[in-house]
Amino acid sequence: MSSIELKKVVKRYGAVDVVHGIDLEIAEGEFVVLLGPSGCGKTTTLRMIAGLEDVSDGELSIGNQVVNAVAPKDRGVAMVFQNYALYPHMTVRQNMEFALRPLRLARSETDRRINETAVLLGLDELLARRPSQLSGGQRQRVAMARALVRTPDVFLFDEPLSNLDAKLRTQVRLEIGKLHKRLGTTIVYVTHDQVEAMTLADKIVIMQDGHIEQTGSPQEVYTRPRNRFVATFIGSPAMNIVPATISDGKLVGDHVSVEIPERFKKRVQAGQKVEFGIRPTEISLLDGAEQATATARVEVTEYLGDEALLDLRIGSQELIAEVPANQCPAEDAEVRLRFNPEALHIFDAETGMSLENQAR
Amino acid sequence: MKHFKTLVVAGAVSLVCGGLASAGEFDDVELKMLAIGDTSVTRLAPIVGEFEELTGAKVQIDQFPYPGLIDKIVIEASANTPSYQLMWVDSPWVGVLGESGALEDLTDLVKRDAAEINLDDIVPIQLQENTWQGRLLAFPASGMIWHQNYRKDLYEHPDEQAAFKAKYGYDLAPAQTWDQYIDIAEFFTRKAGDTLAGETLEKDFYGNAQAYSRVAGAITHDFFPIMRSFGGQYWDPETGLCAMDGEAALAAAEVMKKLVAFNPPDYLGLMWDIRTGYMERGETAQSSYWSVRTVRLTNPDEAVLPTIGEAGYAPSPTGDGNAQPTMTGALSFGINSKATEREKEAAWAFIKWGTSRDMMRRFANEGSGVSQFHKSILSDAGLQEKYPYYQVLLDTQENAQRRIFHPFYADVEEVFGVELNKYMAGETESAQEALTNACTKINTRLKVFPQDMRLRWIADPKAEIFN
Amino acid sequence: MAYIRKRNRKIFLIFMMPAVLVLFGTTIYPMLYAGYLSFRSYDLAKLFVPRVYVGWANYREILSSSEFLHTLIVTFKLMAMTLSVQLVLGVGIALLVTQRLPGMGVARTLLLIPMMISPVIVGLVWLFLYFPELGYLNYFLSFLGLGPYAWITSTDWALWAIAIADIWQWTPFVMMGTAAALTNLSPEPFEAAKLDGNSPFDVFWRVTLPQIRPVLISLMFLRAIDAFKIYDIIFVLTKGGPGDTTEVLSMFIYRQSFTFWRMGVGAAASFVSLVIIVVLITLFFKSLNRDPHQA
Repeated sequence: MSSIELKKVVKRYGAVDVVHGIDLEIAEGEFVVLLGPSGCGKTTTLRMIAGLEDVSDGELSIGNQVVNAVAPKDRGVAMVFQNYALYPHMTVRQNMEFALRPLRLARSETDRRINETAVLLGLDELLARRPSQLSGGQRQRVAMARALVRTPDVFLFDEPLSNLDAKLRTQVRLEIGKLHKRLGTTIVYVTHDQVEAMTLADKIVIMQDGHIEQTGSPQEVYTRPRNRFVATFIGSPAMNIVPATISDGKLVGDHVSVEIPERFKKRVQAGQKVEFGIRPTEISLLDGAEQATATARVEVTEYLGDEALLDLRIGSQELIAEVPANQCPAEDAEVRLRFNPEALHIFDAETGMSLENQAR
Repeated sequence: MKHFKTLVVAGAVSLVCGGLASAGEFDDVELKMLAIGDTSVTRLAPIVGEFEELTGAKVQIDQFPYPGLIDKIVIEASANTPSYQLMWVDSPWVGVLGESGALEDLTDLVKRDAAEINLDDIVPIQLQENTWQGRLLAFPASGMIWHQNYRKDLYEHPDEQAAFKAKYGYDLAPAQTWDQYIDIAEFFTRKAGDTLAGETLEKDFYGNAQAYSRVAGAITHDFFPIMRSFGGQYWDPETGLCAMDGEAALAAAEVMKKLVAFNPPDYLGLMWDIRTGYMERGETAQSSYWSVRTVRLTNPDEAVLPTIGEAGYAPSPTGDGNAQPTMTGALSFGINSKATEREKEAAWAFIKWGTSRDMMRRFANEGSGVSQFHKSILSDAGLQEKYPYYQVLLDTQENAQRRIFHPFYADVEEVFGVELNKYMAGETESAQEALTNACTKINTRLKVFPQDMRLRWIADPKAEIFN
Repeated sequence: MAYIRKRNRKIFLIFMMPAVLVLFGTTIYPMLYAGYLSFRSYDLAKLFVPRVYVGWANYREILSSSEFLHTLIVTFKLMAMTLSVQLVLGVGIALLVTQRLPGMGVARTLLLIPMMISPVIVGLVWLFLYFPELGYLNYFLSFLGLGPYAWITSTDWALWAIAIADIWQWTPFVMMGTAAALTNLSPEPFEAAKLDGNSPFDVFWRVTLPQIRPVLISLMFLRAIDAFKIYDIIFVLTKGGPGDTTEVLSMFIYRQSFTFWRMGVGAAASFVSLVIIVVLITLFFKSLNRDPHQA
């Protein structure tokens, strides 16, 4: 087990920087997920940790040792690739054996490790098969087994579930989670899927355009997004963003006016241009005479079983609300809305930064 | 001026041709000739325009290298409608072409025009060379004998003479026996840095250059004349089968084997032209070959030797030093028997023109020359001074023998070429084995035919034209 | 409807006819005729040799001839020499040019040039290189104080001289096929091996090679067929000599047909060589079916 530290790490291809000097600390045994849209630099960062890409600038340490110039094989890392990267002409056993070859273990030790790992991942019946004779989920497990059998200090996953169907994805996701709990190995896991990130991570690192936008626990990034990008990237359906101006202690937008929650009052000035965000679940429909935040027209309703999603229109603004299915109004109906003030986020219109007091 | 020149040329040529072909007579004829690119043709090819001016017949000469030429001629001969009316013929081919009826019989034409072509002045064996069953099938355009060429300047150098005498106990002179030939070859084989005739050599100098290549049976073209010089014959007169594995053949093979050490290192690849190249560049002390290429040794445009030394010429050495009939050969022009009558007429006119004594004298005077076959030219004192080898040619043909002319000549050339080459390369243990192998292969093919047929194929009745 | 269908079939036949005729005229008829000839005595030059049916005599002669056996041995020897070197060199160069190094694209293109040259020209090029007195090879060796060597006229070197010319011409073919196969390999297993610390030798031997094995087998097979028919380079360089050290099967056929003019024997020898090629093909597909890596 090892900790990992990135100090101002830069990856540059020619004149183009794809990772802009990121700082990141990963503690021993931590499960860290690098999350972001494609092209955000998360895979490049992972590959730098693996040693498959050189670090252009900055310092990368694994287990308190700077490894910028250390060969991949000497970093104590193992990686599970998106396409599994299995040797197609070898059986499951041979795949694992080949990974162990450089360790020059005794035959008995090799067999012991392979059998143990195979049992752990439920591959013991499949050892004689070739990858072409396995299902996607099984291949994924073989890829993990091959990484695992070497008992690495750091486990790297590069979008490991993206080639699986939805059901398998959930299943393998759980297995990875359980595996981490059992082994406690440091894991760096790259994905663009926030569900994977939320369910697996001890710590989520949200990246965009080669920058880290926010680092934190799943709760932190969900409840206290540092900026508009994180706010809208995390959570499904995405957080509603409404442009507004501060006026008379209120956030005033197009056909919408919200009382500024107490905690923000000292952080805004009259006339300031801001954007406020409200998650769909924090919008509720009013049927009594309470004071409504806004009135909206229901354009489309999507029935999800327990809940329903409402596509709402307030003036030129489109919003999504998630309400209990039994409250679902008819399409084209006029509804009155309430935004939960405690769940309100306010971002600076120019910088997109949250005006909330950040933990860090 | 130009017209005057043309007139003079035309006048001279019409004298040559007598009254037979008159201007414009063959206006409607176009002749094509399948030929070699050697002196027997290269001298004539540039001036065929003169023949057209004279007779109206257009002549196109297509020149090919010797290897493969017979293949083209055979295919041409087997075609129903010929594209070549004239064919260049090496005398050994008359058998296969004659037996197949591919060549027009020239006997009657030669007899008719005997005076015009100065038949009596032509070395008789050169005509006999071109006969098949007594009929003349081609007309000599170049007559050759196999003889030795040597570095006269080196042989006459006092240092070399003294050193040779000291080492071998007799005087350095053109070899009369093959043993002497081998001695001389050994004596003159020098490495770069050694001294030759008082000068330090910049590159290796070879005692001898003979053809050992199997390509187109090149090695046989040196082997058979040496075999002849030991008194050997091609065929058994009793059975008509292969006799080229007898004592003379064996001795010839051993001579060639011994000479290997004094040849250039690529001896197994030495074709005729590469072998003569060593002599022409003055890089070897001696080299025996057919006289068709000897002419080049006197011409500084074609050879280096005349500029750095001098070539000497002598008859081929023999086994015991006593004179043996030399082997002759003729490079000749024949007419495709499938040509039309009119084309044949024109072709004969062309042959007469291109091989006439005056044409030959003209070539000799121009300095290029071909290997001559008219007695009056070979014995001309003025020309002999220019071409010292003429006397050798004249003398040796007095008592000469025909080259092989068997219909299976191609088989002999190829089979012996390969077997001899294998022996020289050390792939076959003994000369006897090589020669027996070769003869066995030839005999396998010959034995299919009745003996009287085989005997007819080796018979050489005197040419009808002499009767 | 019936009328149209009938009409269409007519048109179909009319349009097919030229292709069928060309195929028949250029391939099938000559082959059938060669088959017919192989049972006959047929001398193209010596018209007096009877042209008659001789049964299996031509085949018997060939199969009992030590000369034919010799050419067969030389052919396979040359094949073994050229194919092994072409395989090793071709794969080696392919590994090199598929690296992401500067200039490799250009190198890859330049390396293809020998392949595009007619074999006769290749023969001539090497003839100039090998020529003992005037050749470049001996010229350059002379600076090292070596030679002159008789490359193409030495019984020790001639077959290698031919092999080298053939290797020079056809290694690019193996290189190109291998490079294409290498480029098609997924890069991730190699990265996995890199992380695991497998040695380059292990990676090549156990990961690369097994994956490109089917392509290599196909390439070698195509080369084997070509090597079996090798003719032009030998014709230009040695014509089978010195002795009979470079006498290959096609030279034997050529000699029988166009030097001795025994077309029947030549045709029979062609058929024997055809049978050998067919056997080769059959063995090849059998070996492919036995390929343990085919799922």
